[in-house]
Amino acid sequence: MNYKKEEKEEHFIHKDFRKKILLKVNTILIPIFVLLTLFFIAIAYEGLETRDRGPPGGSPIEDIVGVPELLFWLLLFVVIIPYLVLMIILSVSLSMYIRNFSFEVLENNIVINHGVITKAKATIPFIQIQNINVVSGIFDRLFKLYTVKIETAARSRSGSSPSIIKFNPEGHIPGLKEPNIIEDKINERMKKFSHFPSELEDKLFKPEELAFDNFISYILSKMHEGKELKTNIKELRDKINMSSAQLAEKVGVPIQTIKYLEEGRYNPSLSLAYKIARVLNCKVEDLFQLA
Amino acid sequence: MGIILKFNKKLVSRIKELREEQNISQQDLAKSVGVSRQTIYYLERGSSNPSLTLSLDISKHLNKPIEEIFYYEPVIKDLIDNIKLGDIKEIADEIGIGYNKILKLSDIDDEQLSKMYTEEELTKVSEGLGEEFHKLFLKNEE
Repeated sequence: MNYKKEEKEEHFIHKDFRKKILLKVNTILIPIFVLLTLFFIAIAYEGLETRDRGPPGGSPIEDIVGVPELLFWLLLFVVIIPYLVLMIILSVSLSMYIRNFSFEVLENNIVINHGVITKAKATIPFIQIQNINVVSGIFDRLFKLYTVKIETAARSRSGSSPSIIKFNPEGHIPGLKEPNIIEDKINERMKKFSHFPSELEDKLFKPEELAFDNFISYILSKMHEGKELKTNIKELRDKINMSSAQLAEKVGVPIQTIKYLEEGRYNPSLSLAYKIARVLNCKVEDLFQLA
Repeated sequence: MGIILKFNKKLVSRIKELREEQNISQQDLAKSVGVSRQTIYYLERGSSNPSLTLSLDISKHLNKPIEEIFYYEPVIKDLIDNIKLGDIKEIADEIGIGYNKILKLSDIDDEQLSKMYTEEELTKVSEGLGEEFHKLFLKNEE
């Protein structure tokens, strides 16, 4: 995917977000309205019964006709019409919300535009982003939607204790079909704020003691780039029938490291050299020579 | 199912010793291998892991095989060698482990370690020396 080309592309919420909210509201509203209907029916029938047993002076036929009719109008005005009106208002406002919600990932910050009547524009600088949460609730999962919450460390405004740092979910982007787009974009931009070369990153953040070695040796190898290092790892490895993957695993480095080493493109740290020598059961001098 | 105890080791260098033997100053060595004097200083202190080309260069200039200049040594050896005997005696009394048994830790290898000491004892020794267990020893379960 070519994220790099869509530098200033705006993103919108998926239409399914409306369905999701409607479904969510309905699961609460429908039971309420059903209960209301049952309540009216119950009252109406009680009314019927008391009328039946009522004073003989009244005309029973009129009452029996009147009660279901009254019930019908009650249900129409108190249950059905309010429900439909609510649904229409909700549906329209949700469409407008979706139409007015957009966000774009820019060079240094992420901009979120939202608001139907009051337009709001939130700009979150990447440096302030603490973490990005991707949430998917029950209703989200029905429509395969995700909510991305961008947490920033904002100072509490109460003023009494300025040292307390609050985590506020400021950027709240609901209804996304592919949350990875935003995550990837942000991660890609974030790399610019770290000063390590990207090809080192996987080595740097590996929780191994060699991570730091690799970093140091990278810097030192840059300083010594003019010098040639000759190695016969491959010959020794072939002699005992060991693949480069096996060697990489035993030494605890990525397989690329071994490949670079064999091609003479990588100047290892001394501890890495010792590890390889131990695995191949030979001396460091047998493995590497200065050209 | 046994627990195998090992020393946690670190890379140490004998550059200083060898350099003084041959009457070479830090500055001279730095110049001849093409690094700054600080780099040599840090290597001598053992607080950095040199690149292989640098190590090979140094070994060439000091005329010694690389294994004689740089080698792995138990972290605890350095600790025990640099502590006053009187202090070790105090620690021994405090943790209830023999004085000689603590001193012995500085000159045995991994194989002897598992035979002669229990995990409990080593934990006590680490506490006595004011270090965390995992910084001095490694524990492998098999």
